[in-house]
Formats: sequence, structure tokens, C-alpha cells
Amino acid sequence: MKSWLKGLVYGDDIVGALVIFLALLILFFGLMTPHFWSSNNFYAIIGNIPAMAIVCLGLMYVVLIGDLDLSLGSILGFTAILAVFFFKVMHFPLWLNLISCVFVGGLFGALNGVIVTKIGINSIITTLGTMAIIRGLAFWIATDVDAMQIGRITDPSFLNFARYYFPAESRLIPITLVYIAILYGASFLFLNHTSFGRKIYAVGANEATARLAGINVKRVKLVCYIIAGMLSAFGGLVLVAQLGLGEAQTGQNMILEVVTAVVLGGVLLTGGKGRLTGVLVAVLILGVIRNGMVHLEQVTDISFYWRDVAKGVILLLAIGLYSVRKSFNAKRLRTRQ
Amino acid sequence: MKVIGTKITTNTSLFLFLGFLVILFSFTSEHFLSPYNITSLLTNISYSGIAAIVLTLVMISRGLDISIGGVIGLTTVVVSALYSQSDPLPIWLILTIGLGVGAVVGLINGWCITVLDMDPIITTLGAMAITRGLAYVISDSQSILMFEETTDFISNGVIFNVPIPILLFMLTALIFSIVLHKSKFGRSIYAIGANEVSASLSGISVNKTKMILYVLTGIAASVSGIILLGQTSVGMPQHGIGAELEVITAVLLGGTALSGGKGTIYGTIAGVLILGVLFNGLTISGVRYVHLQIFQGLLLLVAVATYEIKTRNEVAR
Repeated sequence: MKSWLKGLVYGDDIVGALVIFLALLILFFGLMTPHFWSSNNFYAIIGNIPAMAIVCLGLMYVVLIGDLDLSLGSILGFTAILAVFFFKVMHFPLWLNLISCVFVGGLFGALNGVIVTKIGINSIITTLGTMAIIRGLAFWIATDVDAMQIGRITDPSFLNFARYYFPAESRLIPITLVYIAILYGASFLFLNHTSFGRKIYAVGANEATARLAGINVKRVKLVCYIIAGMLSAFGGLVLVAQLGLGEAQTGQNMILEVVTAVVLGGVLLTGGKGRLTGVLVAVLILGVIRNGMVHLEQVTDISFYWRDVAKGVILLLAIGLYSVRKSFNAKRLRTRQ
Repeated sequence: MKVIGTKITTNTSLFLFLGFLVILFSFTSEHFLSPYNITSLLTNISYSGIAAIVLTLVMISRGLDISIGGVIGLTTVVVSALYSQSDPLPIWLILTIGLGVGAVVGLINGWCITVLDMDPIITTLGAMAITRGLAYVISDSQSILMFEETTDFISNGVIFNVPIPILLFMLTALIFSIVLHKSKFGRSIYAIGANEVSASLSGISVNKTKMILYVLTGIAASVSGIILLGQTSVGMPQHGIGAELEVITAVLLGGTALSGGKGTIYGTIAGVLILGVLFNGLTISGVRYVHLQIFQGLLLLVAVATYEIKTRNEVAR
């Protein structure tokens, strides 16, 4: 094998490989379908990923400490219902709605974090439980409050939260892109350039060592869960404003795609390693596949539903490649010694 | 607390809790103890119970399979799609192919987890997406009606007044409790769950054992799918959504530890019964579905928290 190819497959940095994969996908769909390469479709793809990108960022914090949070999709769904409730029943202005929803998301995150750190239950089982509980709460509100029967919002002052463009006339940059840039940029600074951010990596890499080094492991973990909950709530608000609709089912099958993106982006499930750029490119890859499959169904007989299969296969490939790399690197270390 | 914890074993306390629930619901609803309700309760739990029994073995070996729901959906779609062809294959062959669906998925899961050393949760999460996606592709997101004598008999038939799903559940429980508690194979499952390296060093073929367990789980999920197909007379890709949560909750409730090496079939049976009685009792007492979902999540957390705290106390002692 060529050395650069080896570097791509076995190297520590997989962002390069992901970018090449993304480029190949764009090339493939562009050549196969007539309308894929167009500015309209570009905005369609960009318009489809904000909620995903934001929730993925949230999950990344939890995966960095070596845990997994399956309840984020439910938190997003609950927020969708809550935003409509605050808007229609409580008549909150947008800023108050935003603060309240993100606060509630943070509370759910704190609940997960407390159960995991204080009681010591495995994070996957904890969040499998809270996933059901939070989704149940969302359905409860959605079915029991009369004003919620139709979760539609048409007030532009609310919808502009995710439908605004900079500059307003030429519609060049959607505001959701600005949110993504701000959140990822802030996370970059937080994770790489603050001592608390470095502690997150330290806890994920080796909990025992981190504890011996004087880091309050439980607090670091709790904060990560809270951040994840708050980001998911924010993603939920963006989604409601984009769709003009908040339902209890919102984000029901989302978590699988979110986990896929984070894993594909090269964040180690055992914690302590992962880069924001990788996650962002992985989100784009999944977004392009989702969009491209619709185009492909137009020109060929290939069912749109293959995208679910593709998602699972990509998840397995990403994890499989990681396993192969791990055993390769272990072998390389042994031969050196 | 300490006295209770030492004198009463986990299984006894589970059955005591079950008895408490039965007495409670017989007061809240007059229909709860009627023969009809008891039969329908038991029939309903056998569908997830069969998968739970086999998953217990996987979880004792420190694995997990969350593709169960996806396999159930895919099996119903494959069987009903094959039957709805203009010139269908004989039904025994169709049902065998249906069971083969689960076996193949289990084989792929097992191969990824053992040979490639992949994380079981993520592997089966991927398998869940693939199976569910394939079910949507094959059925084109439609429901496929299937009225057929054999599947109807499997799901709705009775032998000596006992519905066949219950018999299948009891048979599965019996076979696997013998396998797990009385055979060498069963002991090796406990050994693998307690410590994989030492199990391998003492001559147990770890990969082969795990592979067999995942294949068996896949087949059990397919059996559940076929029962569900017969009960509803329709194959659709949405079948079995959320089944994995129900099954995993039942197994954990039954005292199987997530960290492996611990668990019994009796415990799982108790877990399945408790879940079934709780949902049936709450529904018949007028509690709505949205609230049931909340109860299910709470029950999972409380069950695991109880064991976690108990283990910690034991370690502290």
C-alpha cells in the first residue's frame, strides 16, 4: 500500500480521510443526478443539518468523557413541545423562550449526569431510561394541553430565529450557519484553550489518573452532561423555528444518526480523543447522503429508504476501521519494542 | 435493610414484588384476575419474553444486543412479503427463511463483535439501523397483510387450552435454564462474563461461544417477529420499535448485571412477568399509554439503581 494511503487509513488524524470521502460522495451524486450541483440544493443541504450539527456537538462532550447519552433526541423532542407551549400558552417572547428551553435542557442533562456520577449507573442504561421518560413527558404535554393539539407556529418573529439570512435581501448566509459557527468556535476555544476543557480530555483518557491529578472527575462529567442537554435544547428550538412545527415525535430516530456522526467523526467511544472538525465533516457526510438519496430516487429505482441501511453500514464501517487501526497500531508498537 | 438484603435472595424479592403487584391490581380493577385477562397478559409477554430469555445469556457474557426490535420488524416484513408473492413458497420454507433472517443478523453481529473486536452496543445499534432500513426498503414502507393458517396457529392457537405463544415461552425458558444452569456451555458463559481473558486461558473458546449466543438471540428475535406477525396478521417495518427497551429492562430487572458474569433465567422470567403485570394492570386501571412510557423508563432506572447500590454495599462490607 502507498504510504499516504496507509497514513489515511491507519493515521491518527482521520479528518483528511473524511474530507476525501465527502468529496467523493459529492462527486458521485453530482454525476449521477441532474440537480444535485445547484445553489438551491446547496442551501437545502445546509438547511437540513443545523439541528443535527448542534446535537452532535452536545453528544461529543459526553463521548469525550467516555460515556454515551441516548436521551439527547428525546430532550430535543421535549424542547420542541416546550417551545410551542411557552409560545402559545405562556406567550413568552423569543428571548425568554430560548432561555427557558435551554435551562430545561440543562436540567435534563443534569439529571442524567447526577444519576451517572452519584449512583454510578452505566451511562447507556441511564439514558435509555431517561430517553423513555423524557419522550413520555413530551407526549403527555402534547396530548393533554388543548392548545398543543396543533403544534404549528406561524409568527415570523419566532420563525426568524432560524429563518433569517445575512444580509436580509440577498439571502447569502443563513442564520443557522452562524449558530453552528459560533457554537463550534466557542467549543473549540473551550475544549482546547481552557483548563476545564483540557480536564474533559484528561477524564476521558484515564479517569483514575485524572482523579489522582486532583481533577474533580464527577464535576467535569456533570458539566459535560449539562452542556449536552443545553445544546440539544437549542437544537430543538432551531428545528421548531425551521419547520414552524413542534411535535412530540420530533427527533425520535435522531440519536442513531447523531451517534453515527460522532463516531464517524473520529471521536473515540472510550473517551479522551476527538476533534470538532471531524464531527462537523461527518455531519456534512450524513447530510449529503440523506439529500443525495432523494435525488438518486428521482433518476433511478433505488428506494429512498436505503439511506437508513447506508447509515448503519457507515456506522459499522467507522467502528470496524477504528478496531482494525487499533490492532494495527498495537502490532506496530510491539514490533518497535 | 441489611438484614433483609442478606436473608432474602434477589429472586425471592422479585417474586414477592410480583405478588404485591398482582394483589394491588386485583383491588384497582375487578377485571384484572379474570381468566381472559390473565391469558391475554401471558400471551402478550411471551412475545418479548422469548427474546428476553436468550438475551439474558448474551448479557451474562457481558454483551448486549439492541438490534432485537429491528430484527422483529425485518422478519415480519420478509415473511409476509414472501407469502404475498403470486406463487408463494411452501409456508415451512418461508418461516425457515424468516428464522434465517435473525440467524444471519446474529452471525454478522457476532462476527463484528468477536473477530473485529467491536463494541457490542455500537455494533448492534448499526445492525438495528440496517435491519429497520431493509424492512422499509423491502416493504416500501407499506403494511403487508398476511392471513395464513400456520402463522395464525402459532400465535392464536391453543393446545390443552394453553395458547401456543405461552407454550413457546415456557419451552424456551426451560431449555435455556437447563443450558445455562446445568451444562458446561452455560458455565462457560458465566466464565466469559466474569473475566474473558481468564476464560480464554482456561481453554474456553470465547469467540465461538459468543458467536453462538448472538446467533441464538437473532433467531429468538425472529421467533418473536413471527408470533407478532400472526397476532396482527400484518407485516410492517414499524413492528418491534422499542422492543429492545422492553426486553433489556426485563433482563436488568431480573438481576442480570450489565458488567456480566451474573444473572439467572428465573430472574429474567420474574422481570418479564413484572413488566407484563405492571403494564397490563396500569392499562386496565385506566392509566394512559403516554404515562406507561414514563413508568417503563423509571422502572429501568430504579431496578438498575437498586442493584448498583446493593452491590456497592456488599463491596463495602
